[in-house]
Amino acid sequence: MTDSVVVGAGLAGLVAATRLAHAGQSVVLLAQGLGGLPLSTGTVDILGYAGAPVDHPLRAVAELVRGAPDHPYAVIGPAAVTSGLDWLQALLPELLQGDLKTNVTLPTALGALRPTCLHPPSMAAGAVATGSAAESAIAIVGPHQLKDFGPELCAANLARLLAAAGRETSVTAYRIDLPARPGETDSSPLTYARRLDQADYRQRFAQLVAERLGGETVVGLPAVLGLADPAAWEDLGQLIGRPVFEIGLAPPSVPGLRLHNALTAAARQAGVRIVLGAQATGFRTRGDRLVSLRSHQAGAGRDWPGDHFVYAGGGWESGAFRLDSHGHMVETVFGLPLRGGDVADANIDLLGPDYWQDQELFKVGLEVDRTMRPLGPSKQPVFSNLHAVGSLLAGAVRWSELSGEGIAVGSAQAAAAAILGLEPEKGK
Amino acid sequence: MRRLSVDVVVIGGGTTGVGVVRDLALRGYRAALLDRADLAQGTSGRFHGLLHSGGRYVVTDSLSATECAQENVILRRIQAPAIEETGGLFVTLPDDPDPTWADQFVAGAARSQVPLREIDPAQALKLEPRLNPAVERAFLVEDAAVDGWRLAWGCAQSAREHGAQILTYTAATAILRRDGRVTGVRALDRKADQRLEIECGFVLNCAGPWAGRVAALAECRPVAVVPGRGIMIAVNRFTRLCLNRCVKPADGDLIVPAHGVSIIGTTDVKVDDPDRLDIPRAEVQQMFDAAEKLTPGFRRARPLHAWAGARPLIKDDRVQATDTRHMSRGMAVIDHADRDGLAGLLTIGGGKLTTYRLMAEHIVDAMEAQSGDHHPCRTADEPCPDPVPGARWRLAGPLTAGATDSDSDPFHSDHPLLDLDQADRSPLDPDRDGPDLDSPAAGSRSFASLHQRLRQGEDDRFQDQLICECELVSRRQLLAALRDDPQASLDDLRRQLRLGMGPCQGGFCAPRAVAAACQAGVIEAQRANGLLRLFLTNRWYGLRPILHGQQVAQAALDNWIWQGTLNVAHLPEGGEAL
Repeated sequence: MTDSVVVGAGLAGLVAATRLAHAGQSVVLLAQGLGGLPLSTGTVDILGYAGAPVDHPLRAVAELVRGAPDHPYAVIGPAAVTSGLDWLQALLPELLQGDLKTNVTLPTALGALRPTCLHPPSMAAGAVATGSAAESAIAIVGPHQLKDFGPELCAANLARLLAAAGRETSVTAYRIDLPARPGETDSSPLTYARRLDQADYRQRFAQLVAERLGGETVVGLPAVLGLADPAAWEDLGQLIGRPVFEIGLAPPSVPGLRLHNALTAAARQAGVRIVLGAQATGFRTRGDRLVSLRSHQAGAGRDWPGDHFVYAGGGWESGAFRLDSHGHMVETVFGLPLRGGDVADANIDLLGPDYWQDQELFKVGLEVDRTMRPLGPSKQPVFSNLHAVGSLLAGAVRWSELSGEGIAVGSAQAAAAAILGLEPEKGK
Repeated sequence: MRRLSVDVVVIGGGTTGVGVVRDLALRGYRAALLDRADLAQGTSGRFHGLLHSGGRYVVTDSLSATECAQENVILRRIQAPAIEETGGLFVTLPDDPDPTWADQFVAGAARSQVPLREIDPAQALKLEPRLNPAVERAFLVEDAAVDGWRLAWGCAQSAREHGAQILTYTAATAILRRDGRVTGVRALDRKADQRLEIECGFVLNCAGPWAGRVAALAECRPVAVVPGRGIMIAVNRFTRLCLNRCVKPADGDLIVPAHGVSIIGTTDVKVDDPDRLDIPRAEVQQMFDAAEKLTPGFRRARPLHAWAGARPLIKDDRVQATDTRHMSRGMAVIDHADRDGLAGLLTIGGGKLTTYRLMAEHIVDAMEAQSGDHHPCRTADEPCPDPVPGARWRLAGPLTAGATDSDSDPFHSDHPLLDLDQADRSPLDPDRDGPDLDSPAAGSRSFASLHQRLRQGEDDRFQDQLICECELVSRRQLLAALRDDPQASLDDLRRQLRLGMGPCQGGFCAPRAVAAACQAGVIEAQRANGLLRLFLTNRWYGLRPILHGQQVAQAALDNWIWQGTLNVAHLPEGGEAL
């Protein structure tokens, strides 16, 4: 018998499972795939935009909770966000630095400025307001062989944004000619990251970068500076002779994968049994309780009985919700009701003609109580021992307000606390 | 103001217009073609992709059926690279409205000389496993899939090789007349923002659904164009043959496999404005229902995109009365000398892509009937070249000569990935395959095939980068296309290269493409931002009406990348992105 069965290996699932295991529970985590972290930036967004860019994310969350009762943060509450993220940062100090009260702005691969909160130390020097880049001449450098990073475009946009902010910072683009493996012209970020774990390759990389530089005092590089070696980026900076910072790329995201690997290791170390390739396909109930989950893996079905269940299967991007060709939608594992999903035709009612507006479809999700239990039409929990966390929760378009990790970790914290019999923490 | 003098100006760069300018050039005329946008950006790029066998019309319109069958053979001969030889099936299903239709179909095919072979339903299912297993009768026909863009470019390139000038993004603003004769055309080069005056003796109006507006430029009596809107939906390819219901032609009775997609079409709704074509959800459902009937499971296939095109239907009472000579029931030539007392202007309407070459022949014949000259039409005999991006055919006529001399060539770099002398080795280069592919006709190229790019791209794995993994577009192809048209928008490149047309709908390749263009120095960051924004804005029109199933996860991931990771919404202001 397992105390808790967790579905999903993204940030929310891994945090919930590890928290429960740390508290002494036996935990099984069923993962259909790799989870969402390798698709993410490797930073922890709490709230990047509330109309305007957010400077103080916790305060902005508290304001949001007052004004937007349908937002996930309104049920999660600022306290769970804070305690969850404090725990995560303490667990992974090598990968997450920063302060929950302060957002930093980091350049994207296109040279836009992106507000985020906790971030890898390897990105810190790119923080335009607070890092070394504040009073510097910046170099943006990338290899010809890495197609997902164009230093020229990145540098030009960054220069314009800094100039618009009244900063006299020069930003210069350079290319180096170094394939990740001999003879390659189309090297993936992962291949570069694995190569940069190796000291001799790092040396060659650094030498080529240093040869290109002029008077720049800080160097932006694509986020491929080592996968297994957490000190690779620092070593590169020393070899180049200037502080360096990583700039996030489209997936596969190396910083996201580092987080995934570290969290997976922490979960295993805490005793979580991770079952890969397991798709949740059904469940058994007794009264208002879930008794077991059924999964399908390696050609066979298996039941996973448990006292508590945490559903962290992701939202639209993972396929946990499905929209059919008639414009009707369902939650695929439990058939849970979807808030905002009760429309005649989602393509008409929830998708607007303008790409740049938030599409209501992506706010559709599960409505939960303060212990993260999905609610039925009568606003009662559907099952007394099922908790839903992360991107499943209704009410936020995470990629436009930049709130995904805060919601994931806050809801995982709230669910774990509820399961462990603690009072859901009250907001201050 | 630039000035130019030609014999004939063709207005409209759809397949009809490029067919006409090619026909003119091959007959020895000095000709120029104008389009206010890109070639085949209107109706010719927004259809279902069927090269008709003629089967569709054998009962209702025998003349059109015969024309289709004949032109089908000719286009295979002269434009093989634009055609994938899929073959086609007409099938009857249990609750078809008219049980006698199949017999009428067989008789009509014989009468119209449309090749046809009835096969056993079991054999049909073996050929096309996705077909409705309730199929009762099945007929094999010579349908094929045709790429309207490639057709148009091949034709345009042939025209250029014979001296014609192709001026895209150049809008006609006035047709000049004196003493009852056309004397020239005024136009605006929209990308260079430059005016142009072209002296000419004839203007051939091939603007399709926009033909009424062009005729109005000459202050003729109104030509009543009634655009018929048809919608199409593309899903990940899961069929092999062109599949037709063997019924009286109706909405949604046709599924065409083209490149990596299967396309269901279409509807027919009269609309007022060909520039404003909606994709109504009711028609989307109608198409899904129809497709589900023909190929059960279609609703569960991954939907990629929807689009709407406008049929160029012209209503004019006097066409029937005076111009039957140049008219089949599918196409109509209006001679404005008879109709409006204006010599030198002719308008063509109606028709279909399969018969574009014949339409061109008819209007040029009509022009010669007016001028009294006569030169034989040669378009059916001489193959078109394969339009390879990077072959320097775009806009590279006398008007822009000198614009690409080495001083202003942005493509000089020390890195081999930017060396476009290597571009001739790109996978789309027809010479790459050499003699090991059988050539259907002398001077022509082999037919298109689904695996072509993959097989060719495999050879280049270590020499080039894939910018678009879905459609296998390489960096050199992209840069070569940009070299030929530095003003190209991402949508221009999409039409040229299929960039962003696959399952991810541009999620990964569009930022790579603009980054590569910035590196090559073709565009500045400001323009890159504008191009990206415009591409995303446009792409959504075709996604929103059909977004469901696995494509929702893709759209969410794309938004996550674009907005979440790259923060495109907060880039600096974009430049003009025409």
